[in-house]
Parts: sequence; structure tokens; C-alpha cells
Amino acid sequence: MEQIVFGIGITALTGALATIAGSAEDTESNIGSQGDPNSQVQLAPQMGFVHRIFNKAVAGEPPAYGLWCALGAGLAWAFMAMQVNAVLAIVLGCVLAVFVQGVYATTAYLGRTASLAKFGQPVYVDVLKSMTSVTMAHAFIAIFCVVTLCHLINSALGHPFPLPLLGLIWGIALGAAGSATGNPYYGKERQYQNQKFGAGVPISASGNIVRYAEAGERNSLDNGWFTAKIGGSASGVCFGLIVFLEIWRTVLFEQVSAGWGAIVIGILMILVFTVIDRYIEVWARKNYGPYTEVKEASS
Amino acid sequence: MSAVAAKPQAGGAMNPTAMGVGVVLLLIILALCWYVSPGAGLMALVGVIVGGVLIGFGTHFVPVGGAPAAMGQAPGIATGVAMLAAGAGLAGLFGGAWAAEQGLLIATLTGGVGGGLMMAITCMMVNFVYVFGMGIPSASGKVAKDPITGDTQAEFKSQGTEGHGLPFVSFVGGVTGGFLGGAGGTIIYLELLSLYETTLPATMKMLPAQVMPIAVAAAGIFAVGLFLVNAVLTAYNITGTIEGPHDPKFKRWPRAIVASAVASALCGFLAILIVAM
Repeated sequence: MEQIVFGIGITALTGALATIAGSAEDTESNIGSQGDPNSQVQLAPQMGFVHRIFNKAVAGEPPAYGLWCALGAGLAWAFMAMQVNAVLAIVLGCVLAVFVQGVYATTAYLGRTASLAKFGQPVYVDVLKSMTSVTMAHAFIAIFCVVTLCHLINSALGHPFPLPLLGLIWGIALGAAGSATGNPYYGKERQYQNQKFGAGVPISASGNIVRYAEAGERNSLDNGWFTAKIGGSASGVCFGLIVFLEIWRTVLFEQVSAGWGAIVIGILMILVFTVIDRYIEVWARKNYGPYTEVKEASS
Repeated sequence: MSAVAAKPQAGGAMNPTAMGVGVVLLLIILALCWYVSPGAGLMALVGVIVGGVLIGFGTHFVPVGGAPAAMGQAPGIATGVAMLAAGAGLAGLFGGAWAAEQGLLIATLTGGVGGGLMMAITCMMVNFVYVFGMGIPSASGKVAKDPITGDTQAEFKSQGTEGHGLPFVSFVGGVTGGFLGGAGGTIIYLELLSLYETTLPATMKMLPAQVMPIAVAAAGIFAVGLFLVNAVLTAYNITGTIEGPHDPKFKRWPRAIVASAVASALCGFLAILIVAM
């Protein structure tokens, strides 16, 4: 009983860490403009829209975070093997991983922006100086939370995978959840704030991203501020739910009916999310209505 | 033939010669494995191939819209197909590895359900953001009606786009893909783990308990690697984006099955060689 209560406590803590990690990851990728919406940041100068948005698509978010979290976890694991205190080891590992992220961010911004020179896009050194440190700070929060939850899973809950491998797995999952949930909000809702609300961006508008703020030119810090409210929170809830429910069903129900308990609970949870998803879909169709008149479908 | 003269559907065409070459390659690798390690090694390789094929097939179900989806210009999840499938499958592998001691069936199902659960949460949150954050309903660009719910799609597509969000069939596809990926990754892990557990003590001249961390780590790394190999192969097969099982590109899956089997066999053979030679 005591072990189960301990397990539930650790599960709650990992869920909370994952929620913060998801939120920080999405905000970092939006300030750095890393996900799929960065295609528009890269495209804009080619269409004649010069801007001051950061541009650091190092890689897709999942492999990038897989690298940084595996690096942080691997270094923390090495420090722990050298008898360094676990908290200090995790902090040191994550700091070193964040320096790698900073190097990637700098070279990506300089390289990608320099490639747009023929379209008149300047490399803004003040953008580089002011944005890079902010993306690094958010990346540190995300990496630290992931490495810490991996350490808890490994040492407190007894998962067989070593810490660096857990860092790679949950780093990739973090990037997948964060980019899936957060990208549309940054891509459509923020970059194309000049388009109609409640509709996708017409393909003909591609590249015409919003470049001006209330005062002066818009920069990526404005984008981080805006997307943190919904995109960041939703990404945090998404990754937090994934980590929490995956561990919760294992900790509580793994021993029920020789392992079948965790499977049945997992299937039940999938069904619950299916019902919620269908409710959201139908709610939108009823409340927002069709864009055009309903036609009889041909197939 | 120039790119202009190429048939638009060429990407979806099946090439019987290439498929035949793939099958022959597969048989050659199996024969080599039988020669090197006829018992446990061959069994492990068959498990790796089955797991790899499940991952390759499962990735076809995952609805991924890439960059256009991030602007609400196309349906699907706004990220890369290989990366999303990897994220879901690895979350499944995490659960499956945890349940490894409970046998192949339980562990595989646990891994599959873990991958399905990750995709269910992600797909639900994607629709949540589209509907409540951006005020955009779901609409498919590939079918007039949702094959499962029968909802009409065309009138919910906003002007100048190919659709947006995740219609219900895409949600079901995502969960199915996550399940198959998680199960496939877990099978690869379990097969390699059981091979390493039995062979590493003799190879490294250590006690079974001492090689356990090495066996777990090596099997886990190979499972992650094989996952990425198969997910990326499928991403090429569907040329980057797919809406789910209702998308015409889904019909290209036989080609990916052969490619996944050959790639998994080659990678699995290398994983077996480190203990068989």
C-alpha cells in the first residue's frame, strides 16, 4: 500500500513536470520559430515581406528535443556516476545541453537568414542577442523538467531503461506533442493574425505574415507572449496528460489480473478521449456552421 | 523522362520488379542469419521484421499535415509524420518495456495501448486547439464524407484551403497507428532483449545479472533506431503528408511493407551480429 501511495505521488510529480515541460517547449519553439510554421518565416522575404522574426528551424521539434533531452540526461547520468548529488547533476547536465541548444539556435539563425540575403532580408544582430537567450531559458525549463521526470521514472519507479535512453524517448515524445498541439496556434493564429478568424489561411496568402506590432515591428518575443496563453498551455496539458496517464495506469493497474488491468484501463482511457474528441468535433460543426451551403455529397 | 513528363500518379505506382528484388534481399538476409545464428538469432530476426513491418504499416494511419496543417491549409497534425509516429511509438515502447517481465503478449499489448493513448490525447488536443483556440471546425480534403461518421466535409472547408483539423476518421487512424507502432517497437525490444540476455553472459564472460543493464540498453537503443528507420521509410512512401486510412496515399502500404521488412531485416541482422560473431 505504501509503495502504491509513493508511486502515485511520483506519478503526480512527473505529470506536473511534464505539463511545465510541454508549455515551455512550445513557447521556446515559437519564440525561436522552430516548428512547421517557420516555413512561412523562411518564405516571407522571398515574397517581399522582410521581417524581424527569429528563424531557427534547427530540425523538427521532436528530434531536436530528443537530442537536447538525451544530452542533458546523459550528462546528468555521467555526473551522478561521478558521485555528484542528483539535483546538481541534473542541473549541470541541463545547463550543458542548453549551451548546445544555444549554439544550434545561433548558427541556424545566422545560416538561414544569410541564405535570404538575395531577397533583401538582413541579419539583425540585436534580434540574435535578445531572442537567443530567451529561447535558451525556455529550453532549459523544458529540458530540466524532462530530465527530472526521467530520473524519477528510473530511480523511484524502477523503469528498466537507462537515463539517457529515457531522455531520448521522452524528448522525442515532448517534441511530438508540443509541435502537434502548439504549431497551428502559432502558424495560423499568430503569424496570420491579419486573416479572418475562424478559417484556415488561404494558400494564396502564404508568406504574407504579420510583421508589425502595436508599436514598431513585431518580434518573436511578442509571438511567445501571445502563444503562451493557449498554444503553450494546450501543449503543456497534452504532454502532461500523456506522461501522467501512461505512468498512472502502469503504477496502479500493472499488477491487476497479471498485467491485463493496465491494458484495459488504457483502452478505456482511449475510449474516453475518443468521446471527448467527437464531442468537440460535433460542437464545432453545430456552433460554427458550414462556410458554404450544404451540398449533397457525391460519395 | 523529365520531371514535367512524369505521370502525376507515379509516386503511388507499384513496381513489381523492385518488390521482387526486396523479397529476394529479405530471403538472403534471413539465410545469412540462419547461417550465423540458426536458433535464437533467427527467431529474434523474425520478431524484428514483424515489429518493423507493424511500425511501417502503422505509420500510414497517422494523420500528418506537415507545414500546411500549421496554417490551417490542410488537414492533419502539424508536424512531421516520422517524428509524430516515433513520438507515439516510443511512448508505447516505454510502457511495453516496463511490462517486459509479464510476457510477450501482455507487454506487446501494453506497448500498443501506450502508443494509442499518446495519439488519442494528442489528436484530441489538436482538435481542441483548432476549435476553441482558432474557431475552425474539422474538414477533410480527400473525401466528401467521413467514412465512419458519415459527416459531410466539403462545406466545412474554409475558402482557399484543402481542409483543416482532424475529422473523426483521422482521429481513429491516429490511434490505430499509435497502437501498431507501440506494439511493433515493443516486439523488437523484447526479441532483442531475450537474445542478448541469453548470449551476452557467454560473450562478455559475465554473470547474467551483470549484463542485464547492457542488454536492456542495447535492446532499447536498437528498438528506437529501428523505429526511426521504419517511420522515415514510410514518410518517403507517403511523400510527407497523409490524412489517415481514407487518404488515397494509404493504398501505397504494400510497397512500404516490403521496404520495412528489408530494412528491419538488415538492421536486425546487424543487431544480432554483435552477439553472434
